[in-house]
Amino acid sequence: MSARADILGKLGTAAPPPGTAEALLADPVRPAVAGDRVATFLTALALPASGATHERIGSVAEAPAAVARYLAEHALPPAVFVPDDPRLAADWSGFALSLAITPDEPAVIAWARLGIAETGSLVFETGPHAPMLPNFLGLHHIVLLPETAIVAHLEDAALPGPQPRAHYWVTGVSGTTDIEGQYIRGAHGPRFLHVLVVGER
Amino acid sequence: MSAAFSKRVDAALADPILKIAVERTAGTAEAKRAIAVDAFAQFEAARTRAAAIKDHVVAHLGYYLEQFETAATSAGAHVHYARTADEACKIVIDICKAAGARTVARSKSMMGEEIGLPHALAEAGIGRVETDLAEHIIQLADERPSHIVWPAMHKTSEQVSALFKQHHALPHSEETIPAMAESARRHLRQGMLGADVGISGANFLVADSGAVCTVTNEGNAELSLVPPRVHIVTAGIEKLVPSMGHAVQLLRLLARSATGATLTQYTTFYTGPKRAADPDGPDAMHIVLIDNGRSAMREDGLAEMLRCIRCGACMNHCVVFRQIGGHAYGGTYPGPMGAVLTPALDGLAASRDLPNACTLNGKCQEVCPVKIPLPTLLRGWREKSWREGLEPATMRQGIAAWAWVAQRPRLYRLAVRAAIFGMRRFGRGWIRTLPLASGWTAHRDLPAPDSESFMNRYARGER
Repeated sequence: MSARADILGKLGTAAPPPGTAEALLADPVRPAVAGDRVATFLTALALPASGATHERIGSVAEAPAAVARYLAEHALPPAVFVPDDPRLAADWSGFALSLAITPDEPAVIAWARLGIAETGSLVFETGPHAPMLPNFLGLHHIVLLPETAIVAHLEDAALPGPQPRAHYWVTGVSGTTDIEGQYIRGAHGPRFLHVLVVGER
Repeated sequence: MSAAFSKRVDAALADPILKIAVERTAGTAEAKRAIAVDAFAQFEAARTRAAAIKDHVVAHLGYYLEQFETAATSAGAHVHYARTADEACKIVIDICKAAGARTVARSKSMMGEEIGLPHALAEAGIGRVETDLAEHIIQLADERPSHIVWPAMHKTSEQVSALFKQHHALPHSEETIPAMAESARRHLRQGMLGADVGISGANFLVADSGAVCTVTNEGNAELSLVPPRVHIVTAGIEKLVPSMGHAVQLLRLLARSATGATLTQYTTFYTGPKRAADPDGPDAMHIVLIDNGRSAMREDGLAEMLRCIRCGACMNHCVVFRQIGGHAYGGTYPGPMGAVLTPALDGLAASRDLPNACTLNGKCQEVCPVKIPLPTLLRGWREKSWREGLEPATMRQGIAAWAWVAQRPRLYRLAVRAAIFGMRRFGRGWIRTLPLASGWTAHRDLPAPDSESFMNRYARGER
């Protein structure tokens, strides 16, 4: 007998009574997100566990200037990786742009579809214009997030319809406590996370 | 106690560095978890819900397996089933060979350890890059994980420094932990980007979408699973959840219970291989669904153990684990959850000491995010070990003799009086040595009994 038939035979494949799985989703037990979602999100983002910084800008067109200021503050040259993502269309001519991601990319720009107030998480999906690897290789991760895209809870992150290869949530910077429990930023992935919250000015 | 277990425990207790190393990490984890739990007012209600979600899945495992298989297959993934650890390893090795793999990047997975994948890869001559920092450390040291969340918690920074200097091409020059982490970052990055196959476990398998969810704080899973041509997942069948909404409720508890965070840094749902127009991602995705004793556990009174989400809180809060560390347990999984799982995975005869190496103080059950009645399950193993005659003859005869006397109250009281009289001849207050009790008195004094028994005083009307 095949392993599949053997295992499923032992377990049985009868469906659960209708509605039982759905009942376990009703009234999810979760921390309350009361009041201003944007303020809650920014507070979560700034907690030591997340360790991210942010700046509010009026439009995507203001992003290059904000990125230039950020890089200058960190004494970095004006060089970034910008994925071929139409949502990031702006005048990036002031930067040396990496055409392909390199293993030691100093700064990477990305667009987040959503922000989650409950945890300060950023939500990404892979797609023809949204590579995944750069968001983990860069030392500085600079993310544009529309202010209107900040939702309350993790449950709100789900993408309806057919799923992409990867749907992922980034909550702060890469960290490890693997050596004597001491917290170190930038274990493998980004050591710095900076969010540009894009308003509608 | 078996000689092998006794020897491991003696070695652990005699190691002064081990106790400090375990205490540092487990103590920090305990403190951070307490803060996170206090900050989440509905934690208790969340535990009840989480246990109900897992019980629902475990009761309908076959249904959700089929649903997951259908969804994952239609997303382009290949789904395999394995009854045993050996079957699972063979499937993984065959996929690696078919892909012409010379090296694999592995993202920490306890399932990989459970099935002996590191050994199987070595036998097949396939290079293995462990990408989790702790797994990298123990790979260099050629050791096994001593904790399910912090596999290298038994190593001090001095030991890590020596390993990195021996094995890294450009090791740290400064003796600090950040410098060591940086050295590992440099060293591992090439390994991850150059691997042919990426292998991960799964924290959750989402039945309705066919997605595989992994969580890490380092980001090593993503760096190990995006660049290679092939992504292989090895997952226990109990990792299923009906939908992402169910996974979310468990994720809230997993992070808080493990590290005290509200969520892990990187939480990723992988559904199938890269799409045709995607700029990165693997060309093929294989998911190996592994039973390895789980369907039998469900039938044999261990269904509640299948709720486990591998957070490590039970071991962080265990007085025995904190004394002896993880290696002394001798199985893949240490601590209270390991003491329940190991007899199921490796056989009770070989591991009957583990359920006995427990004070039954109940702390593990109190902190378990899915309310597994660990002390009850451990007692179940003790009873089974007794029924199957696995306890040594001296223990069986001793207990039989005690039971015979205890069923005869007048004889029992007489024996107690004799014992009090006898023991008090060796000391008043504290006894330094006592015949047949050297196991206790070699390391500490034994309190001497009071001059008369409780029953005597009770009979006199003392209250």
